[in-house]
Amino acid sequence: MQDLDFYFAFASGHQLLDGLKVTLYLTFWSNVIGLTCGFLLAMVGVSPIRPLRWLYTCYIEIFRCTPILLQIVWFFFCVPILFNVYWSGEFLGLLILGLNLTAFNAEAYRASIQAIPPAHHDAAIALGLGSRVTALHVIMPQAALNAMPVLVTNAIGAFQQSALVALVGVADLMYQGKLLSTQTYRPIEAYTSVAIIYLVISVVFGQIAGFFERRNELYR
Amino acid sequence: MPSFDITFVAKYWQTLLMGLGLTLEFTAICIISGTLLGLVLALMSRSQHLAVRTVVRLYVELIRGVPVLILLFWIFFCLPVVTGLEIGNFLSAAIALTLFMGAATCESFRASLKSIPIEQYDACTALGLTNRSRTLDVVVPLMVMRAIPNLLSNTVALFKESSLASAVGTVELMYIGQNIANSTARPIEVLTVVGILYFIVGFILTRLVSIAESRVLSRLAN
Amino acid sequence: MNSQQSFIEVNNLQKSYGQGLVQVIKGLSLSMNNKDRVVVIGPSGGGKSTLLRCVMGLEQIDSGSVSLEGKPYVSRSAGDRQTTIDKTVRSSIGMVFQSYTLFPHLTVMQNLTLAPVKSRGVTKAVAIERARGLLERFGLSAKANEYPNRLSGGQKQRVAIARALMLDPKLMLFDEVTSALDPELVSEVEQMIIGLAENGLPMMIVTHDMWFARRVATRVIFCAEGVIQEDAPPDEFFENPKNKRTRDFIENVLHAR
Repeated sequence: MQDLDFYFAFASGHQLLDGLKVTLYLTFWSNVIGLTCGFLLAMVGVSPIRPLRWLYTCYIEIFRCTPILLQIVWFFFCVPILFNVYWSGEFLGLLILGLNLTAFNAEAYRASIQAIPPAHHDAAIALGLGSRVTALHVIMPQAALNAMPVLVTNAIGAFQQSALVALVGVADLMYQGKLLSTQTYRPIEAYTSVAIIYLVISVVFGQIAGFFERRNELYR
Repeated sequence: MPSFDITFVAKYWQTLLMGLGLTLEFTAICIISGTLLGLVLALMSRSQHLAVRTVVRLYVELIRGVPVLILLFWIFFCLPVVTGLEIGNFLSAAIALTLFMGAATCESFRASLKSIPIEQYDACTALGLTNRSRTLDVVVPLMVMRAIPNLLSNTVALFKESSLASAVGTVELMYIGQNIANSTARPIEVLTVVGILYFIVGFILTRLVSIAESRVLSRLAN
Repeated sequence: MNSQQSFIEVNNLQKSYGQGLVQVIKGLSLSMNNKDRVVVIGPSGGGKSTLLRCVMGLEQIDSGSVSLEGKPYVSRSAGDRQTTIDKTVRSSIGMVFQSYTLFPHLTVMQNLTLAPVKSRGVTKAVAIERARGLLERFGLSAKANEYPNRLSGGQKQRVAIARALMLDPKLMLFDEVTSALDPELVSEVEQMIIGLAENGLPMMIVTHDMWFARRVATRVIFCAEGVIQEDAPPDEFFENPKNKRTRDFIENVLHAR
């Protein structure tokens, strides 16, 4: 077994750091899209209008029943042709990851809205909060709070799944790791370093999420 | 707007179906090995020895904390270097996805094990069942039954993750689809059809999961 | 052996939870003969269920002993590191719990035959015969091949009792077996237990149902604060309780009805 030379990996740290920046950029923006559009989509999903709910279901099922890799590859190859646009890999990446995240977040929002006991609706009406808008101030904050654990899990998932864009040529952390591995003929150091970076960030965010979840529990 | 010709893909129908078959085969293999691994890990996590429990904990945290792609690459590129063995792309992908599935099912089994009411254990003692009989005849069956809904959704997830095997050259639907798309320079038609194939199977599996879930949960409603 | 005494002997039982933090049973002694049907009543946390569980040998104790026919099967002295439990003697005792009693993954028949076959070495055929007999006796034959989720709460509890009877217990313990049932299902279970009592099966019962207690008991015990406050035959217990605490409890419970 060749001797491990992690010093080499450290020396190439800036390369991995560049990749990490791209990964974080993708994660951040896809979550911005996922959290906002997910909420809007959830509104469609709980709408009383049947055709709208049907559209919602179609969207969700497409993203839930197909592999994310396929979604990414399809998006990268077909969207430029279909819409005759030239967008950077990063942009395409954050779009498709955002659209994917939107689907899962929408389900999370929808589930938490529907999980709110009818008693709250009734109480709101009894308190004279007849207007829909005001009721939204009672229901929505609760729904958002309820959905938070799942939303954070989805966010961490998005962070990990962003690695797949490396397969379509986006220079994220995974891509740089693979490049480093072939450049230096040291796959173990390269891939292990990349794995460690993903692991540390995932675990840290997982802990933060856990912290908020516990705080959440206290307020019940 | 370029010309569309869905019928164009008809030529490759057989190849694509073969790819789907390979994907299903691959998924089935990894489900079985992954679930067995998860079962062993879950039982290990109840061990008396702190070291054993910690190993399982670390394993699960590791697998869940990194992208599946890294697992694939690490096993494909690094494992041969570490062990000196030649591991082909099918085997690497299978190992990686088994490890992934193992962690997921371990958590499923652990949760289901925890959910067994303590009264069931008391009933075993009151009936004078030996520890061995209690484990084999009561605890394990209940653990597995309670885990079925979770296991089934893990299965659907695995079916989708199997597409990643293409990244290390394993021949399955995604790999074949991409090849055809590249060689015919008609990505839209080919990839859409591939997408539809995945969707059909994925959709059916998801529905089956719901049905099985309600059946099992009603049986357990005690 | 004097058949009037020492069928079951609980000797100065001490039990606490959380390493001595909460003392649930504080030096409780009890003597029961083989014609007795002891009903234990009392407030929550008073120790009655714990007492039953200790008699079943389900719990670790701090000190004291429980004996069956003179043989101690649960014992611990002050110096011992652990409770000693004799599983062979313990196997003569059966117990039915409040909920989650049956194994949901097995049919009624399988529930009944599991223990005899697996730990008594009874052949399957013999066990099935015996099970059929018991089911018939208690009017549950139709449910033999059903899974527990298709049974009513009352039927489940009756099957649980039958399951314990499969092992020919010398003593039966019933821990609030009707407390979790809908009111209209309580009677069928209580009738079954009364039937067993009339057949001469010694038993110890924890219940909230005073009517049932009065009907089935030969002795009623009031267990509160970890000790026995009163111990008397049912009529005397309910009409003329000597202990003030007992009187208060009975009044409150009867008022609540």
